Amino acid sequence: MSLQPTEPDKAHAERDTPEVQQAAEAEEAAEVAAESPDAAVASAPVSDVEGLKEAMLDDGQEWSRARWFHDDIEMHPALYVLRSAFPDAIVDAVRFRDETTIHVARERWREICLYLKEHPRVRLNFLSDLTAVDMLRLRQNPRFDVVAQLYSLPNRVRVRLKAGVNDGEPIPSLVPIWNGANWLERECYDMFGIVFEGHPNLKRMLLPDDWAEGHPLRKDYPLRGWSEFPVLNTERPVGRVRTRWTGRGAS
Amino acid sequence: MSTDTRIAAPYEADAVFSPEASSLGTLTIEEDLALQSGERLMTLNMGPQHPSTHGVLRVVLKLDGELIVDCDPVIGYLHRGTEKLGEHHRYAQVIPWTDRTDYVAAPMNNLGCVLAFEKLCGVEAPERAQYWRVIMSELARIASHLVWLGTHALDIGALSMSLYCFRERELILDLFEAFCGARLTTNMMEIGGFSRPIPENMPGMVRDFLHVFPERQQEYADLLSANPIWMSRTKGVGVIPADVAINYSLTGACLRGSGVNYDIRKAMPYLVYDRLDFEVPLGAHGDTYDRYLVRMEEMRQTISIIGQALDQCERMDTELMAWDSEYVIPPHKGTMTTAEDMQRHFIWIIKGISPPVGEAYVAVEHPKGELGYYVVSDGSPLPYRFRIRSPDFVNLASLPYMANGSMLADVVALIGTIDIVLGSVDR
Repeated sequence: MSLQPTEPDKAHAERDTPEVQQAAEAEEAAEVAAESPDAAVASAPVSDVEGLKEAMLDDGQEWSRARWFHDDIEMHPALYVLRSAFPDAIVDAVRFRDETTIHVARERWREICLYLKEHPRVRLNFLSDLTAVDMLRLRQNPRFDVVAQLYSLPNRVRVRLKAGVNDGEPIPSLVPIWNGANWLERECYDMFGIVFEGHPNLKRMLLPDDWAEGHPLRKDYPLRGWSEFPVLNTERPVGRVRTRWTGRGAS
Repeated sequence: MSTDTRIAAPYEADAVFSPEASSLGTLTIEEDLALQSGERLMTLNMGPQHPSTHGVLRVVLKLDGELIVDCDPVIGYLHRGTEKLGEHHRYAQVIPWTDRTDYVAAPMNNLGCVLAFEKLCGVEAPERAQYWRVIMSELARIASHLVWLGTHALDIGALSMSLYCFRERELILDLFEAFCGARLTTNMMEIGGFSRPIPENMPGMVRDFLHVFPERQQEYADLLSANPIWMSRTKGVGVIPADVAINYSLTGACLRGSGVNYDIRKAMPYLVYDRLDFEVPLGAHGDTYDRYLVRMEEMRQTISIIGQALDQCERMDTELMAWDSEYVIPPHKGTMTTAEDMQRHFIWIIKGISPPVGEAYVAVEHPKGELGYYVVSDGSPLPYRFRIRSPDFVNLASLPYMANGSMLADVVALIGTIDIVLGSVDR
C-alpha cells in the first residue's frame, strides 16, 4: 500500500466539471445538514411554520433534504421561493405520492423555469421531460396542462411544473433556457396542437408535415383516426368516470 | 460554368425560386445544380433505408464538400401511437405495449411502466421480486449494450464485432426465454411483482452466464480499445461538453461520457439498488471514444450487480407477489382453490384496476438513459394519460449539435454513439 494518490483518483479530479463539484459540495452540505440540529427543525410540527420559514431564508446554509419532502407543502423550497418571487403566478400546489406539482400561470412560464434553474439554492437545472395532458373531460377551463418534469442535479429532487393552456393560446417556449426542450415542444405541438411562442422551428415531429387530421393525443381524436376507418361509438371499452380533478388521490 | 463563378455571382432570388426554372428536364444538370443554391451546398438524404441509421431514421444533410453544414434528423417512420394506445387499454394491458418501444431491452421498459403503476396504486413488490427485477433488467442492460456495440462497430468498419456481440446476446435471450417464455417481447413484470414462480435452475443459468461473459467482454475490449482505426474514428468525434450535455437534457452514457455524474440508480435509488455496491463510470472528454469506454465499464459493473443480487436473494424463499386486494392479481393457487380469490381474479381480469385519482412520474436508468413514465389516472380502469419519456428521443436531439462541422463519414459514428432504437424514438 503506497500513500501516493492512485491514478484513477487523479483522473477523476481532473475531469470534474464545476457542475459536478457543485453537486458534490451540495451533497456533502445536505448530509451535514441532515445530521446537525437543523434536521430537528425540519421535522418540527406544522404549528411552527412561521419560525421555520424564517430559518429557511436566513440560515444561509443549504436546505436539508428533508425540507423537500416536508409534510407541509409550503415548506417545499421551490414553492417557497416562487411564493416570494412570483406571488400572483402560483395557481396551486399539490403533493401526491411524494411528488410535488406546482401549477403556475402560463404567462410567466418561462420566467418561472428560468428562476428555478438559476436560483442558487433550488437549482432545478435539468429538464427531464416536457409534455401535455388534455384535460377535456376532467374540467372546463383551461383545457390543456403543459407539464414539465424538472430535476435538480445538485439536490437530487424532482419537481413537476404545470401551466394551464386553452386551445389556441400560446405558451412561452423553454428553448431559450434548455435546448432539450426543442424536440419535446415540437412533439407536444404535434400531438396536442399547443403553440410554443418563441420556438425556433415549431413543426410536426413524429407525424408527416402534411398531416391534415389534427392532433392525435387530444381526447376528442378517435383512436383509429378520422378518415381511414369509420368512427365507432363502441370503440372505447370502458366509459370514462366523470371526476372532479384534484390530483390528490381522492375523487 | 465553373464553381468559382457561381460563388462570385450568386443568382437572383426570383430566379432561384421560380417554379418554371426548377422544373425537371428544362435545364441542364449544371444549371439545375447552380440554381439550387448560390452557395456550394449539396443536400444529401441519408435514410430511412440506410443500413447505418439503425432502423428508419432519416437525416437530411447539407454538405459543403464532405463537411456537414446542417443536419436535420427526420423521425416518425415507426410511430405507432403507443401513448394513444395506452389511453385505450386497461393498466395491465398497457405493459405489453412497452415491450415494443425499445425492443432490445424490453424488461427495462416493463420495469419502468410497472413501477409507475405501482407508485400510482401505492403498491410495493416484495423484496425477492425486487431482486429478480434488478437481475432481469440488468441482463437487459447487457443485451442492449451488446446490440449497441455490435452495430456501432459494424458501422465504423469492424464487421466481426457484430457477430461476437450477437452471439453473447443469444445467451441472454435464452435466459429470458427460460424465465418468462419469450425472447424479445418479454412482458415479464406485473403490477405487484411476478405472478409465476422463478424456474428452479434460473440462478444457476444466470451464474453460468456471469462466469462466461467477463472473459468474452475482455476479448471485445482487446479488439477495439487500442485499435488504431477504432481510435481514429472515435476520438475527438462528437464532443459534447458537460454544460451542453445538461442543456440538451442528455442522459445515460451520453451525459456520463461528458463527466456529469447522473445515474438514477445512484441519484434516486429504486428497487434494491441502495443495497448493491457498484461504480458509476464517467468520461473525461465527452467524445465518442469516452462514451464507448463508459458503456464497456457499465457492462462490467452490471455483471457485478447481478452477482451481488443473486448472492443476496438466492436463499430467499418468500413470495414473489405483493398481496393487495384491490390492485394486485390474486395468487394462482388461491384462484384455483378459494372462492374469494377466484372472484377477485375475475374482477381483476374483466374490470381491471382503478388507481386513485392522481399522477406519477417514475424514471429508471435505462441502458440508453433516463426512461420515464408519466401516468395520470382519473379513477377509471384506463390511464387518462400515458406518457413515455424515451431516452433516445431526447438524446437524438443532440445529433445536429454533434454533426455540424464534422465530416460526412462521422455521421454513422455519431448515430451509433447516441445508441438509438427507432422503436423507442418514435414510440
